[in-house]
Amino acid sequence: MRRLAIFLAGLALLAAGCGKSSGSENVGELVIAVDVPVTGSPYVAQTIRQGVELAASNLNGGGGVRVGNKSYRLKVKLYDNHLSARRAVQDTRRALDAGAAAIVTDGTGVDATWELARRDGVSVDIAYDGGTGLVDAETRPNVFRIAPTNHGIAFRYAEYLVPKKVKVGLLSDDSAYGREGAADVGRAFSENPEAVALKLTLPAGQTDVTPQILRARRSGATALLVWGQAPTIAAVLSAARSIGWQVPVYAPPTGVDPFIRQQLADHPEWVDGLTFASGRMTAEVGTGPFTSFESQYESAYGADLVGVKTAAGEPVVQPPEFAMYSYDFVHVLVAAVTRATSVDPEKVTEALNQVTTQGANGDERGFNQHSHEGVVDDDVYFARFHDMTFQPVRDDPLSATLPPIQQTRGG
Amino acid sequence: MRRALVLAAAAALGAPAAALASVQQVLLPGPTPYPTPSPPLVTVAAPPTATLPFRIHASSDQHVVAGVDPDGRVVSLRALHRLLLSGTGDYLIVVSAPVLDVSPGPGSESQPGLRRGQILWAGFSSKKKLLSADATLRPGPAAPFLPMRLEAHLDGDRYTLTVTNATLTSELSFAGAASPAELARLLDLTRRDSLSGGKLTSAYVSIDGLVTARGERAQIAAPLRVEGKLRFPSAPTSVSGGTVHGRTVTFSLLLGDGRPLSRRVEVRGVRTEPLLHVEARPTVLVRSLVPPGARRWSDAVRRRPLSAAALLKRLLDARMQLVRSDQYQSFLSNPDSTGRNRTVYVYETAVPSVRRTVAGPGQGSGGSGGPLVALLALGGSVLGLGAALVAWANN
Repeated sequence: MRRLAIFLAGLALLAAGCGKSSGSENVGELVIAVDVPVTGSPYVAQTIRQGVELAASNLNGGGGVRVGNKSYRLKVKLYDNHLSARRAVQDTRRALDAGAAAIVTDGTGVDATWELARRDGVSVDIAYDGGTGLVDAETRPNVFRIAPTNHGIAFRYAEYLVPKKVKVGLLSDDSAYGREGAADVGRAFSENPEAVALKLTLPAGQTDVTPQILRARRSGATALLVWGQAPTIAAVLSAARSIGWQVPVYAPPTGVDPFIRQQLADHPEWVDGLTFASGRMTAEVGTGPFTSFESQYESAYGADLVGVKTAAGEPVVQPPEFAMYSYDFVHVLVAAVTRATSVDPEKVTEALNQVTTQGANGDERGFNQHSHEGVVDDDVYFARFHDMTFQPVRDDPLSATLPPIQQTRGG
Repeated sequence: MRRALVLAAAAALGAPAAALASVQQVLLPGPTPYPTPSPPLVTVAAPPTATLPFRIHASSDQHVVAGVDPDGRVVSLRALHRLLLSGTGDYLIVVSAPVLDVSPGPGSESQPGLRRGQILWAGFSSKKKLLSADATLRPGPAAPFLPMRLEAHLDGDRYTLTVTNATLTSELSFAGAASPAELARLLDLTRRDSLSGGKLTSAYVSIDGLVTARGERAQIAAPLRVEGKLRFPSAPTSVSGGTVHGRTVTFSLLLGDGRPLSRRVEVRGVRTEPLLHVEARPTVLVRSLVPPGARRWSDAVRRRPLSAAALLKRLLDARMQLVRSDQYQSFLSNPDSTGRNRTVYVYETAVPSVRRTVAGPGQGSGGSGGPLVALLALGGSVLGLGAALVAWANN
């Protein structure tokens, strides 16, 4: 009896040993580095990081990524670039040392980091900054973006505003984001100079821009397109409404930043009518896919509360738009790994040009050899605020097809 | 008595049933399927799910330019593919083709994407949208699906260009007993479809009794309208199969629709190959569907008896030719299977023909460059031999 017990124990140990050995050989790690401004722009950083983490968690829950007879679990490593290009370079070096297969970023420092990453064949995905020139399939073959582009937004604005016969005051702040946007807007309106009343640069971070707004009003502007950081847009709204000027204000995707509503929470009517352009959150298939993604996101992280309430007292939540983009990139990356049948970063980066997946909102997401933009310009829509929440406008063909997204969660 | 009544009732019920059962409705060819998988071109790359919602329709206009060498072989291939979308909604279009590169064509309202073996379009159409792609294709895999083949020879002062319809294929077909009146009606319908230039309307023919396979496979070719221009450095002395206008020879041919599938243009009094420009368009059937001695087939069969078997054969062959013609209207695919397609195939001299100038009277057969070429060849041979000797010595 004792002999049998020893034999069985030995057999069990052998079996356990075999299992462990086999498992460790067949399971690997696929590192995705997330380099975002945790301390510079916490909302953007959080939404991008959570999008990546949610996708990784879902994929790991399904057994990870299978390449040949080996499974890879996705591992997310977070870096804080502090909105600093220099810090982004350091982060990129660390991420490459950690064996990152791809780097997901808000866009900070990409002008400096892409070449570092390219040396190791690693792809860089921008999930927020739409700056023209950041992405170029020919000259920066390892840089990809899933986010609306400044170029697309600027041209969609020209397409939207010029037929309205408004005189647009083109305002931008002197941040890098503002300068890049101003250049794109300038190009977009260059064929319709009669539609532009003035071009004006505002100091980023200045809370009182009343003199500039008075000047814009004197110029005969009947609409303002403000390309700048969220505080600049809040300052413009504040200045215009303070002097009783109910001019329509248009903004890039920063217009949806919760900061603006938080800043103007005492005057919710000042936010009313603010129109912003961004990538559409719902596809033609309806709200189903996005709602499903949103509920997964909220289950994992809770709703992103804006910190303001509607007139009825309901808390307003921010839909996870940019989380959707970083989430989608992870899925495209995994499709590329599967297509490349390899986790070699160079092969994966090459394969990113050849794959399409269905995005969280039901849209197709993918890149190709000529375009590393995952959000096509046609997907830029316009939405207008009312009562601290926004809805797609009805006077634009694409926007008119989009259903509104629920943005309150009960009081 | 009772048994007799039952039998009589059964016979009364069974007779019309048996008569009906012997008549079959047989689907005629057209508008699809096409007899061969290509055109439109396909590649082995797995396409992503392409979406063109039912609200959006697409028509295509294509301009395919085949660059040919002096012998008429295709050495380069380019396609200007214009898709005009109508309707509002999202689209994701994958055009499968052995594409080397693609750029937006004139007037394009979007940028085409490129993947291995695919041209991609994605975006939103608001009522109307033009997607125009200027694609460079790999001639090797694509050229076999061009509708026309050229063979050119320069022999002494005689230049011959043979133009051949390359759409010929064989297809299974059927035979059976059908009513001449119905066949005449169907021929009239097919003729109307053909002359309108649109796709065929689906139609059935009633066959009484067995439907059998036709003894021989039908030989089917898309009718091609061909217009050509050959520009010589000096005026030819004579031409057969074309017309001389100074230094230019023009010709206009119909290949198919009861005409030969291959024609030859022979030019005399020239020493150099011309700059060639030949356009081929898949066209409609006219001659094969002209009713004998009447304005309509229905009138023709009333005037005099026509063989039902011959009418059925004519109907089937005509429809198969029209399907083949429609197939060649789309060299690159149109995502809307019911959309209108038009393709013009242009064959042009890829490189100006200067290297094959033949000797004039009193000159050697080597031509003007002969001695120089011989010298270069000799020099090359000596260098090659030297290199080989060095390599051998080092080994």
